[in-house]
Amino acid sequence: MQEQVEKYLSKLIRHGLVQGPDDAALYGLDDELYTNRHTVAPEVRALFDLLNINSLIIARPEPLHWSIMGDLIRDDPSLICPCDCESLTFIHDIPVLRTFDVEAAARALSGRKGLIIADTGIITTGTVSLEQAFISLSSICFATFVKYFADVLNGLYGFAATPKPGTARLDAARRILAPAAPAAFYNPLSRETPGTEAEIIQAMDAAGKAIVSAHLVDSFFGNISCRKGDLIYISQTGSSLDELPGCIDCIPIDGSSTCDLTSSSELLAHLKTYEITDDSAILHGHPRFSVIMSMFGEPLGFTETRHIEDIPVVAGEVGAGRHGLMHTLPAAMAGHHAAVVYGHGTFASCSGSFHGAFERLSSIEHQCFDAYRSALEKAGVS
Amino acid sequence: MQKKRGDFTLSALSIDLSTRDAVRSTIDPEAGKTFLGGRGIGTWLLSSRPMVDALSEDAPLILSTGPLTGSRIPASSRMMISAFSPLTGTIGSCSVGGSLAIQMKRAGFDLIIITGRSRLRLILEIDNARVRFVDEDMPVDLPLSSVFDAYRSFRGSVAAVGPAAFSDCTYASIMVDGSFACGRGGLGSVMASKNLRAIAIRGSEHTVMACDPDGEETARADIIRLFDASPAIMGRSGISLCGTAALVDLMAARRMMPTANFRRTYFEDYRAFSAGRIREEQGPRQHACHGCPIACKKKAHSEIPEYETLSHFGALNENADLAAIIEANRLCNEAGMDTVTAAASIACLAEIRGLRYTGTTLVDKVREIAGARGDGELLRLGSAVLARELGAPEKSMSVKSLELPAYDPRGVYGMALAYGTSTRGACHLRAYPIAHEILRKPVATDRFSFSGKARIIKIAEDLNAVIDSIGGCKFAFLGATLEEYAKGLAAVTGLAYDTHDLLRLGDHIYTLERYINTLRGFRRTDDLLPERFFTEPGTHGPGIEVRPIDKTAFEATLDRYYKIRGCNEDGTVTAERLRELNPCRNR
Repeated sequence: MQEQVEKYLSKLIRHGLVQGPDDAALYGLDDELYTNRHTVAPEVRALFDLLNINSLIIARPEPLHWSIMGDLIRDDPSLICPCDCESLTFIHDIPVLRTFDVEAAARALSGRKGLIIADTGIITTGTVSLEQAFISLSSICFATFVKYFADVLNGLYGFAATPKPGTARLDAARRILAPAAPAAFYNPLSRETPGTEAEIIQAMDAAGKAIVSAHLVDSFFGNISCRKGDLIYISQTGSSLDELPGCIDCIPIDGSSTCDLTSSSELLAHLKTYEITDDSAILHGHPRFSVIMSMFGEPLGFTETRHIEDIPVVAGEVGAGRHGLMHTLPAAMAGHHAAVVYGHGTFASCSGSFHGAFERLSSIEHQCFDAYRSALEKAGVS
Repeated sequence: MQKKRGDFTLSALSIDLSTRDAVRSTIDPEAGKTFLGGRGIGTWLLSSRPMVDALSEDAPLILSTGPLTGSRIPASSRMMISAFSPLTGTIGSCSVGGSLAIQMKRAGFDLIIITGRSRLRLILEIDNARVRFVDEDMPVDLPLSSVFDAYRSFRGSVAAVGPAAFSDCTYASIMVDGSFACGRGGLGSVMASKNLRAIAIRGSEHTVMACDPDGEETARADIIRLFDASPAIMGRSGISLCGTAALVDLMAARRMMPTANFRRTYFEDYRAFSAGRIREEQGPRQHACHGCPIACKKKAHSEIPEYETLSHFGALNENADLAAIIEANRLCNEAGMDTVTAAASIACLAEIRGLRYTGTTLVDKVREIAGARGDGELLRLGSAVLARELGAPEKSMSVKSLELPAYDPRGVYGMALAYGTSTRGACHLRAYPIAHEILRKPVATDRFSFSGKARIIKIAEDLNAVIDSIGGCKFAFLGATLEEYAKGLAAVTGLAYDTHDLLRLGDHIYTLERYINTLRGFRRTDDLLPERFFTEPGTHGPGIEVRPIDKTAFEATLDRYYKIRGCNEDGTVTAERLRELNPCRNR
């Protein structure tokens, strides 16, 4: 279990969720407690006694995220309600405490996967592995970031019954917008079309790492696929895009094998896109300003489409339900090779290598960031 | 009828078949709050008579619903049947689908406790508050479909036992509504030992009203959204569309499909009984338990067998004849016997004799068990007794005399541990590590590692004890989590239990089961796997090496599990440990 502790500490730093090793305490419990700390605080022991868990992370997020959370909890809410689709589906809401009281923290963690404590940071737990705690922590950072910027803009324009932001919130938003900008554009992916299975897996691995490295996706979200003849190679459900080897399913497009039981929950959206386009590669990430700008305006109805400049925005929930994005996304992809799903993320496709899809995914995010800044300016905030 | 907020009084119907008395009573609310319902309350009731012989007149047979049964919370209308198992000697609770639980709830009962033995064979008819003891003179060897046909106009739910139960088959099942099996552990024999052919229940006078309807709706919507987001449930090959047959291709690809009585872990002809082949040849339609949006059950002109049955009548017996598998399954359902133990016992006999029973020969063996003739005389005793009587006890692939289902432990180490620690013998559902070791839910774990698995399995056992106690379905948890179900439970009952309150109750229920087994003589040696898994490799595949399990590592993990569970080094549980966990004491 010590390996897990080291792995997820390293991922927290690499993903920019904490600044350094001193900002995160990770604990994995089997019959003994494994941690990156020399000593175990009595509060931690008490949490393990009070909760039937095997993993716990206590972390102070890196300054940008922490200041966003600080601003969100300034008015003393007991809960933060995310507005993006994946957070609503998987973490529902985020409890908030002012100080680290063990009993109160245990009560909050008994109802939700993680919480924010104003004088401490984020605490998340898991009952299977440290990966759960890592995912919840990453999701809380993503959910609060998106909510913060989405609320500022919708509040300014009076959309979605969002309260108008106060001066302090606007000052803060203006101050942190520049450091929140997407990473400088760089496309490291090859233009060569992968041919053999080994080349396809290598290309998917490279594309996954590029998306994570460019901060175009968080935690275990996002998915990647590549079509080769009658086969589709697709990332497995819950796989981390920066750790894809061993987590890619190769499945027949015609559904003659059920090995896709472990494939991404967006498999059907990928399949339908391949069915109606000539594309052979799809990338799906959760670029933050793309998600934020998709929610700029009144909530989008299931059958409605709107645009961020020329990029279509469609509605649809995760997976294969009646209101699943598989019903709305493929048609939008057909005309543009890219679309943003309302409150969710961006899909981009191309033929040949992943180069073009990555280019679109990344440039849409830059376009959305510019659109956000322009919208702020238009509202008199600059 | 609506219960008051937080009122956890359970309404029980106690039936003594010896005297033909039916007494309505209520269960101590503290017990209700501590054991919830379903498996928990069944275990609690069995703990008052821990040493009773499974087939004695005094042995109870308990049918219990969960507190969510009848609510709008999805996939929560499972019935739990509890008794001591005549096959294993352990506690023997078993979850079953259909509409039995909802009919019972609507009749106004949370549970029915049956004791005694009728002089004449009878059927118990419960029509709301009215209880009738109906003598019956149907032939003992009447197929179960005829029993269900006889009750078609009853418009309720029927649980019945078949010819196997009346011919001393130790793994006789109780069939519900003609399609759903309370299969494992031979609880059908317990029912037959009471001369009880069937229980027919019709309810219409009671409804479940949530204390907090808005909270109930929020929990329902959250759960449905998570079902939709889960590839294992609602995906293209999810169990909603394909049934559990969806697992066939995956288990073969992972090289963990038990083949030739577990001598191999890959069956070359697995496609003969894959979900794709079933779709082509049988054109199955969906069939659901009451109020379940998943609808994992599949029917064509015959029942489509579950994955475990397909795999064991298929790969375990090296049989690539789908028609024979479906017929073997039909015969088991008509006779009322557990398909897993039946198929595993035949595979065990085949290995001992150096033969293969496939196609019509396999079907003939099932007929022999159902008719208690020929090899059926031996096969109806289960593989452990059969192998012992034939001088080859090592050929029985069982733990505590319960045969392993269709997940080879050499390919899933958490499952290996869970087979050992399960309180009813080798069962995949007590901890269901397939969820994370194969289906990647809630996150993936390394299937070839014991790292961290001792606590993972302990927590999963606690979780599944809760699921079985609230009337929940294991498959729902391939999408949703206890977080959403705890919110639903609180909204429906008014009891403010959160996730970890419930897991604490699950810990207590599981430890009580282990304590009962301790009293019944079970020890560490009973938690070990058959030696084959420690000495023989499975079948390797592309990039997959299926080695024998390292016995030292397995035993070290078992030691850790005992420590975490609070057991002694020999796997036993003390009364003191049980008292420490009692939530009433801690509250």
